[in-house]
Parts: sequence; C-alpha cells; structure tokens
Amino acid sequence: MSDSQPAVSRWSWHILARRDAIAGLMFIAVAVFGLWASRNYAVGTAFRMGTGYVPRLLCWLLLGLGALVMVQGLRSADAGSPFAEARYWRAIVLVPVSLLAFALTMDRFGVVVAALLLIGIGSLAGRDVKLSETALTAAVLVVLVVTIFIWGLGLPIPVWPES
Amino acid sequence: MEDFFANLVLGFQVALTPTNLGFALLGCLVGTLIGVLPGIGPVATVAMLLPLTFKLEPVSGLIMLAGIFYGAQYGGSTTAILVNLPGETSSVVTCIDGHQMARQGRAGAALAIAALGSFFAGCFSTLLIALFSPPLAKVGMSFGAPEYFSLMLLGLVAAVVLAHGSVVKAIAMVVLGLLLGLVGIDGNTGGARFTFGTIVLSDGIGFVPLAVGIFGLGEIIANLTSPGKQRSLVQEKISRLWPTAEDFRLAWPAVLRGTGLGSLLGVLPGGGATLSSFAAYVLEKKIAKDPSRFGNGAIEGVAGPESANNAGAQTSFIPMLTLGIPGNAVMALMIGALTIHGIQPGPQVMTERPSLFWGMVASMWIGNLMLVVINLPLIGMWVQLLKVPYRLLNLAILLFCAIGVYTVNNNVFEVMLTALFGVLGYVFIRLECEPAPLLLGFVLGPLMEENLRRAMKIAGGDPMIFVERPISLGLLIATVLLLLVVALPAIRGKREEVFQEG
Repeated sequence: MSDSQPAVSRWSWHILARRDAIAGLMFIAVAVFGLWASRNYAVGTAFRMGTGYVPRLLCWLLLGLGALVMVQGLRSADAGSPFAEARYWRAIVLVPVSLLAFALTMDRFGVVVAALLLIGIGSLAGRDVKLSETALTAAVLVVLVVTIFIWGLGLPIPVWPES
Repeated sequence: MEDFFANLVLGFQVALTPTNLGFALLGCLVGTLIGVLPGIGPVATVAMLLPLTFKLEPVSGLIMLAGIFYGAQYGGSTTAILVNLPGETSSVVTCIDGHQMARQGRAGAALAIAALGSFFAGCFSTLLIALFSPPLAKVGMSFGAPEYFSLMLLGLVAAVVLAHGSVVKAIAMVVLGLLLGLVGIDGNTGGARFTFGTIVLSDGIGFVPLAVGIFGLGEIIANLTSPGKQRSLVQEKISRLWPTAEDFRLAWPAVLRGTGLGSLLGVLPGGGATLSSFAAYVLEKKIAKDPSRFGNGAIEGVAGPESANNAGAQTSFIPMLTLGIPGNAVMALMIGALTIHGIQPGPQVMTERPSLFWGMVASMWIGNLMLVVINLPLIGMWVQLLKVPYRLLNLAILLFCAIGVYTVNNNVFEVMLTALFGVLGYVFIRLECEPAPLLLGFVLGPLMEENLRRAMKIAGGDPMIFVERPISLGLLIATVLLLLVVALPAIRGKREEVFQEG
C-alpha cells in the first residue's frame, strides 16, 4: 500500500493522514469526550467506588494509549493512508441509511414495507445495480422472511401496516 | 471414570432428542452456509441468530449456536480450495495450497482431506473438552473476586497479544470495549453513566447491535467499497473425491500435528480457529523435508491448518464453559447467550446444569459427524451457492441483520444503534484496528468491575490484595510476562511472521 505514494516529508501535515495517526486521534477523541461526559460523576475511593471511578480511570488509560498509537503512527515508516481506497462513499452512507429506514418504518408499517425499503436503499449502495434482479431478490427475501420468521418461528413482529 | 461415562450417557440422552438433533443439524447447515460464503463470519451470524434462540430451551439454543461456529470451519475450506477466497479468516492459509491442488485437478482430494482432518480434530477435541473441563471447573470454584479479576485481566491481555497488528492498538480497543460496556445505570451506585439523559441507554448497549454492527455491517460496507474481487471458481467437475494412498500417507501426520497444536492454542485466551490455522501452516512448512512444495499444492498445507482450526474452534469452549471466560469473540457471544437465558456463566454451570454442559459436548460429536456428510457428498450443492452474486448476498445479509437485531426486544432504537456500529466497524477495518478485543472488553467489562469492587471491599481498598493471594499473583505475573514478551523485538518479529502467511 505504501509504495503507491511518494514519501512525504517528515513534518508535513500529511503525516496526520497516516492510518495510525488517525487511529490514535480517534482513541484520544473518545477519551476526551468520555472525560468530559463523566466530569460530574462521583469518583469515590478505591474502597467505596463511585459511579465515575472506573469510567474515568479507563478514559485516562485510553487517552494515554491513543497518544502512544498516534506517536507510533507519526514515527512509522509506513505511510499508508486509510483514505486510499475509500472511493465508494455511497456504501458508507447508504448501508446505514437503509437500516435507519428499516428502523423508522418497522413499527408502523410492518416488516414487509420495512424490508422492501431496506432492500431498495441497500441495493443502491452497490455497483452495477439491475432493477429486475433487485426486484426479484426483494420478492424472494420478503417471502422467506415472512415464512421463516413469522409463520415458522412465530415471532411477534408486525407484518403489515397498521390500519 | 465412572462419573465420566455416566455424564456422557446423560449428554447423549440430551443431544439425541429429536429437537436437539434438529437444532444441531440446523446449526451445522447454517455454519456451513456462512462458512462457504465469504463476507460473513461466525461472529456476525451467531449475533444475528442469537435472538431466535431466546424462545428455545437454553441447551437447544447453545447446541445450534455452537454448530454454527464449528460448522463454519468446515465450510470455510470449501471456498478456500475451490475459489481461492477464504470463506472464513481461519481458512486464509488453506487457500495457498488448497487452491493449487484444485488447479492441478486434485480438488476432490483436498476437500476430502480437509473434511476428514476436521472430523478427526473435532472428535479428538470434543474428548478433550469432556476430559479437562471438570477438573478445570473445580479449580475455578475455589476462585474469589481477586482471582477472577486477575484471570480476566490475563485473558484480555492474552487476547491482545494473539491478535494481529499493533499491540498498543489492540489494548486501546480493549479499553474502548470496556468503556462501551459501562454505558447504562451502574448497578452498585444507581448512577447513570454515559446515558446522556436518555432512557434507551439506561439498560446499556445491547451486545447484539454491537456485534452485528461491527462484525456484520462493517464487513458489508468494506465489501461494497473495495474493488470487486475476482472469483476464479474451479469449474471442472470434482470427479475423484477420494484421496490416493500417497495423499493419506502425507496427510495423516499433518492432521495429528494440526489437531494437537489447534487444541492447545484454542484453550488460550485470544486463541481459537484463526490463530490455530496460521500457526499450523507455519509449523508444517518448518518441519517439511522439502518446504518448496508448499505453495504448489502440498497436501499437508491443507491437512494441518484445517484440522487445527477445527480443533481450536472446539477447545476454545473449555475456558468459556468452565470459568465463564470467553477466549474469542464467538465465545463472548455465547456468554451473552447464557446470561440472557438467566444462567450465570462460571464453574458452577457444570454442577448445577450437567445436562446443559454434557448435552452440548455430546452434540458437538454428533455435529461433527453431520458435517462430514453435509460437506462431502453434498459438496456440489454448496458450490452452486457460490454462483450467487455478492450484491444480492449482501442484501440478504443486510436484511437478516436488521430483523435479527429488531427481534431481540422489538426495539427500533437498537436497529439504529446497529447502523452506527456498522459505520464504526468500517472505520475500524480501514484503520486496521482489530474488533475482537473490543467485543471481549465489552463483555468482560461489567464482570471485571464487579470483581474489582468486591476485591476492594474485601481488602478495605488496599490494592495489595491482588499480589498477596498466590493464585491472583501468579495470574498477574503471567500477564506481565506476556506483555514483556511481546515487547521483545525477536518475539515481535516471529509474531508478525506467523500472521504474514497468506
């Protein structure tokens, strides 16, 4: 992965785009957020631990580890960037969106509508979508879901829209 | 010894009921299915199907979930040999020589050796579970809070050491998992943690959304975003399934070595199927008279790792069943399944619920027998499945993820949470952060905190209690040694070498 890119100079801000530098930043961000969110938790003592004792301890630990990962990333020779292959933003957005659509429709409109929405949006996340093929898949999957989950296993989930 | 046979009889009585036979078969079929299909692994599948087992008897549910895990080890080899794609991460090394064998027209022999080796390994390691679990559980019974805390710490550190990639990153992932496990109302003080004033988070983050999101959805997104992999299915008909006498002569010592190595590595925290298969391949290559045969269709390169991954998958049940300590992500889910059924995982499971423990052990042997039949005579059926295009499979997996998560509590919030964890899972893949340590931390977090608190109560807040009690001290020394060992450059090089194969 590293050979596709020219070597970046040591102190250019590009090194922040290195994989481990970003990973370190992610851990640091979570730790700082955790420390902020737990600022009012009672810490207590080792004998009588409060709500915040363990969470704050772990946040400080994560902060240190994150810094270590970041430093390692900045110093490593591997200039691999996690962005190199991330071209297909569609999947990154549409896969979660398809689940959200399922979640928002499930209770009111039932599993058939929710599943069709999920498949419709989910199919757009891939490349070379064929409408007829997707429609056929959707039909097969919906029939499968209703037979297995509702008739077969008797799960108490709504099938059709509420009238 | 008499006890042993009485227990086995009890186990077979449980496992041979039509219902449990049916669930074992179902688990093995689903396991083979996901094993054959690249793109979805046992962790995501077990998490997805977990809610469906809630209505079953605990033993039936566990029999099915266990079948999925070891079944996937059988199925993974089929794809590795015929398509040169690992169906599971534990069959990555099988691709190397297995696919070469297939190109030389020896696909049948490779498949048969993989299945028979797995069967032998499965039987042997099931026996190990039956033999070694009772004494280990006895040891576990004597553990108090400080010992448990130290044991879990050792488990987490070992999981990190044996994961691939950067150790520091893996430790950070464990800590992240521990933090996620804390979300919700603190049972001891009644204070809310990281709930941001919401009610939906007061029960904590469910492990089904977390596991399905990170292991299932993250993988789907990664599949969709990476450039399409070429599948080169070996098209010739698999005419000769039975290996030659020469194949057998070369393969059986490798099967024995793989089984031994896999059984050993499976018990270790962090071990399991994947590590076992990698290590077995390296071992076979090291001791071969002519290492250059490897990579060109050496049958030992199939026999060793395939036996090892099955042995490792099965023996990883030992620490889970006897101590309540999960060694890998699937075992973490099993712990979750037990808890949901109201069974406190730990050494008392074996004495309080002997039919659960022995029923599961017996079902593993039956399951392995079923898997040989499922995989050898029916191989053609699974090969057909590989012709279904990825884009359609992804849709099916996506839908089953959504429904699986929804059915846990009929709660749409958990589906949304899954979407969020899916994005996170993808980020982890891109940043090369192993997600398995996170799941272990997530499951062990609350247990560790509970034991830490109890230990501190016993000792009046003095942390010296962990070094004053001999068993706890021993476990802590082992933990420190493990960390030191990874820090040594020589070992680090070796560790990278093991994971570099394939």
